[in-house]
Amino acid sequence: MLEAAPPGEAIPSATPARTGAGDLGAPLYIAWQVTNECDLACLHCIEESGPGKAFRDELTAAQTSAFLEQVAAEQVPYMSFSGGEPTLHPRFFEMAAYLCERQTQLKIETNAHGLTAEGCERLRRTGVKAVQVSLDGATRETFNRMRVRGDFARALQGIAHLRAAGVPVEINYSPTRFNIHEIGLAVDLAYGLGAESFYTGRTMYTGNAVKTWHRLAPSEEQYGGFFETLHAKTREYAGRMRVHFHEMGLLEELRYRLRHPAALLIVLPNGLVKLINALPFVCGDLRRQSLKEVWANFQRAWQDPRVSQFVEDLANDPRKTASLHQWVFL
Amino acid sequence: MKLAQYVKFREERFGGVLFETRSEKVFALNPTASAIVREIARDGSDEPGLVARLADLFRGSRATIETEVAAFVGDLRSRGLLED
Repeated sequence: MLEAAPPGEAIPSATPARTGAGDLGAPLYIAWQVTNECDLACLHCIEESGPGKAFRDELTAAQTSAFLEQVAAEQVPYMSFSGGEPTLHPRFFEMAAYLCERQTQLKIETNAHGLTAEGCERLRRTGVKAVQVSLDGATRETFNRMRVRGDFARALQGIAHLRAAGVPVEINYSPTRFNIHEIGLAVDLAYGLGAESFYTGRTMYTGNAVKTWHRLAPSEEQYGGFFETLHAKTREYAGRMRVHFHEMGLLEELRYRLRHPAALLIVLPNGLVKLINALPFVCGDLRRQSLKEVWANFQRAWQDPRVSQFVEDLANDPRKTASLHQWVFL
Repeated sequence: MKLAQYVKFREERFGGVLFETRSEKVFALNPTASAIVREIARDGSDEPGLVARLADLFRGSRATIETEVAAFVGDLRSRGLLED
């Protein structure tokens, strides 16, 4: 009666198991980039977020409300707010409360720099499932180098406020050639800070990373040691903290996705909906279409030959990911 | 008994899905399994109570329902999808 995703096919993101996204009546997971505005300007940011980088056409209050009402009506079980920096959105707490009151589990992905003790207490009362903090370094030196305008101490302070309030914490870590050697220390630090989960994977060549790749890109040898350490840390922290990591390369993952699209919608700040972050294809516009219409189009769009062609072209030219922000409408 | 804190259930045309949002694993349920989970989600109670409600809903021998429910509930528990 109960059927799980086969172990070899389990990918730590929303997976549709053997049902296939096409069998589901609605998405299982919506990752919403609520704004492109950010107080930091990170070297690797795939969204090219930063101060003054909010889209001119981000969803209005009315459009946002209409979207969230549909999320609740369709019983989408899981949603994340990211950005940019989602806590900078003027209706951040209101939107979080709306979803949590309607039983959607909500994860916040933040740089934690603006998290006050009062704000974290409010998040706990709201009932968010977890707050995932980007901590790309185990030391001030590497963190501050990666997170331009950011400060290691402020991120740690934000995490401390979360823990004091009793909000579950997760840590996300993006490796680069100058911080990758700290991965073991970073996992230890995450555990010491009280994190329940640690997430990492290969850093993607897109967004700001296109301009800074010569400073960021780890070598395959570095990645070898990185994943070896992560396997060891997974065993070390088993039963105490989950260590999630994507070892497969982008091409391998996209080929898998062509066969098994995740039941996941990526919603941009202006309501456009992407097939997946690592592809330039847009399959809907929530300003003009209902969530149900977008979901139907999402399933058709994965079958579009332009999608499989793009993935195969990546095999010859991995740098095609530089064009992910040149949206292609399906 | 009830669904674990981070487990969400949604009915689908083929039955239903359980989504464990911490591990981000999805479990597809056939219509029979979905009916059992619907009852657990609606009105968490002990196993005998669940069997009694399902016996009211479905024809079939009570002994068979008891056996199937015990196996299924045990499976859910072993995967961390149920809690007391």
